[in-house]
Amino acid sequence: MITSFLADQALLEDIVRILFVFVLITAAFILSTRNIASLLTVYAVQSFLLTLIAASLYLIEGSEKLLAMAALTLVSKVLLIPLFINVIGEKIKISRDLEFNYLEPTASLLVSMGLIMLSYVFLSGFFDEYVLGKLFFVGAVIGLSLTLMGMLVIFSRKKVMTKVIGYLTMENGVLLFGIFVADLPFVIEILIVIDLMILVLLTTILAIGLDSTKNEYHKRLQTLKIWSGREE
Amino acid sequence: MIVLSYLAVGAIMLILIAFSKSHRTINAFTTLHTLVFLAIGLYALLNTTVPAFETGSEYFYVDHLSIYEGLIAALLFFFASVYANGYVESLIEAQELHRNNLKIFYLIFSALLTAATLAFFSDNLTLFWIFAELTTIFSAALVAILSAKENIDAAIKYIFIASGAMLFSFIGLTFLYTLSGEVLGSGSLNWTVLIENASLLSPKMMTASFVFLFIGFAAKSGIFPFHTWLPDAHSKAPSAVSAILSGVLLNIGMYGILRMYSIVRQTQAEHLISQFLMGFGLLTIAVAVLNMLWQNNLKMLIAFSSVEHMGVILLGIGIGTPLSLFWTLYYVLAHSLTKASLFFSAGILHRQYESNLIHDIRDIFSLQPVAGWGLIIGSFAIIGMPPFPIFSAKLFILLEAFGFSKPLVFAVLLLLVIASAAFARFLIEAFTRSSKEAGIEDSETPLLPYVVKRGMKFPLLSIIFIILALGVFFPEFLETLLNKIVYELGYL
Repeated sequence: MITSFLADQALLEDIVRILFVFVLITAAFILSTRNIASLLTVYAVQSFLLTLIAASLYLIEGSEKLLAMAALTLVSKVLLIPLFINVIGEKIKISRDLEFNYLEPTASLLVSMGLIMLSYVFLSGFFDEYVLGKLFFVGAVIGLSLTLMGMLVIFSRKKVMTKVIGYLTMENGVLLFGIFVADLPFVIEILIVIDLMILVLLTTILAIGLDSTKNEYHKRLQTLKIWSGREE
Repeated sequence: MIVLSYLAVGAIMLILIAFSKSHRTINAFTTLHTLVFLAIGLYALLNTTVPAFETGSEYFYVDHLSIYEGLIAALLFFFASVYANGYVESLIEAQELHRNNLKIFYLIFSALLTAATLAFFSDNLTLFWIFAELTTIFSAALVAILSAKENIDAAIKYIFIASGAMLFSFIGLTFLYTLSGEVLGSGSLNWTVLIENASLLSPKMMTASFVFLFIGFAAKSGIFPFHTWLPDAHSKAPSAVSAILSGVLLNIGMYGILRMYSIVRQTQAEHLISQFLMGFGLLTIAVAVLNMLWQNNLKMLIAFSSVEHMGVILLGIGIGTPLSLFWTLYYVLAHSLTKASLFFSAGILHRQYESNLIHDIRDIFSLQPVAGWGLIIGSFAIIGMPPFPIFSAKLFILLEAFGFSKPLVFAVLLLLVIASAAFARFLIEAFTRSSKEAGIEDSETPLLPYVVKRGMKFPLLSIIFIILALGVFFPEFLETLLNKIVYELGYL
């Protein structure tokens, strides 16, 4: 029963398509949610959806690389990064990001619809002459839209913590792109994740600095024990 | 061997710095690091056969372009680390830098040199992308290390714009990968493979992937419209870091664009991309120059001047003739050195007046004669006055541009005149102000001269000596080196 279910290619492709839609829904949430804790949860859900997509593609294509990607995404983006941001977020006690720059949530949702259309039109202009898997094309459109929506988050939200999540959303969009051409050496995938982690580490530390005075900042870093060194 | 020795030296130096106690030893190890990197680069240039693959795999590749860029990076880091010895000590004394952060400063400084150098030697474009990303993060940390609010603001802006744009580059890489997969059977992101098969690549897809790659690399080099982070980050950073940001990090983005363009040049898309690059080059120069004209902040002025020069370099790449490439490469060296001398002078002036603003600068020749003259000579050099090297580089690039369009050359010339006016206006206004004329309030608090620390004048004076020498005398080895690069990029 289960094996026949797993072997049904058409069904699996449909599942991937449904997962794509879910990914877009999470992006819309990230654009409009004010509570940082739920933003983080949504990001973790989004990353988990990507894990599922990679796993389904593994069932379709059978490349072990995809399974490894799924595992890497699960460990780094579903577990480690949200956990880390959560720890820092609790220390600096920013729980809500109420301010929006330039765009209110409703407007930014409308803009992102436009962005999805734009990605579709743009990419179909380049891809029609090629014999590419249909699924790849949908993935590319969703991936590009997700990247653009993440960029919108960076522009339209004020708090650095929310911007970090916007950046991470962009990165997920790129990953969605990359899953379909996942022949990059695995070492490189790991390096990319390490790079992402350092970036998140640095920006969150800087976020602590932004809403505190200089002395307070050093005190906070001391309590976090991130900057090594002794108090004089 | 070369890449491995870079990696090994980089790692050893990080450990040595981590276990050192006093500022003097930490700085000595950092300077040693830069000197060893210089030595490795020179050794590679003189004693090994290049171009060649490295570490037995296709990840790293050494050719004359990578050695050239690596040498420029090491040279600038050397000057900056010598300068940092006194400069950072002053920052600590002024309590702008926390003593606890001293070691972190040098650790990141050293890691930045290693990451930047390895970026130049990456054959795999994804690996280049990763190292370029790392340099963004490390340098942003150096901007933020003063932990003043505006520094953190600038660093955050820098990270989000540069790294966010770099994600678009990654989409471009994915495009390129599919594209090469269609031609070669299995996809490849190795520059050497791509350039070998460039003529087979579909021009339409190539244009798409180039545009995506351009977004990221342009943001890294401060090309309009992604330049907005640059003036903030470069002017808020400690001056030793500003010199590196302008002199080395901007080159990384330009290096990426040049590598990609050399592939595009072999395809049908060449004409379109060429115009695209020249267009952005012109826009970048225009925006930078207009921001320079009424600039009251010295470091902002120098930072916007970096944007302007990146525009000229982009223009030089876009023209795409062998001669314009030759002079663009020379321009990169000339700009890096000149810009460092300007930031070093500005750093001394900032210690003196504790401000970069034009109306705080007075009595400059009695207080800081060396920095004052450094700034004057540097300004002459940066606006491209003869006999300085930027003059000849600009001249020949513009002569090549004539072949494309006369209005373009006239527009650039006009903009360059405005840039010169901006520097002239700043220098005249700042350097003619004396406290005697300024009135009573100023004479009540006479400024004490800031004692320039040991070693801070040496890099400034040596750079001025080098650019003067380069301007009047074009060394033969440099000419051979640049010719080899032009040849290896497939221009001849």
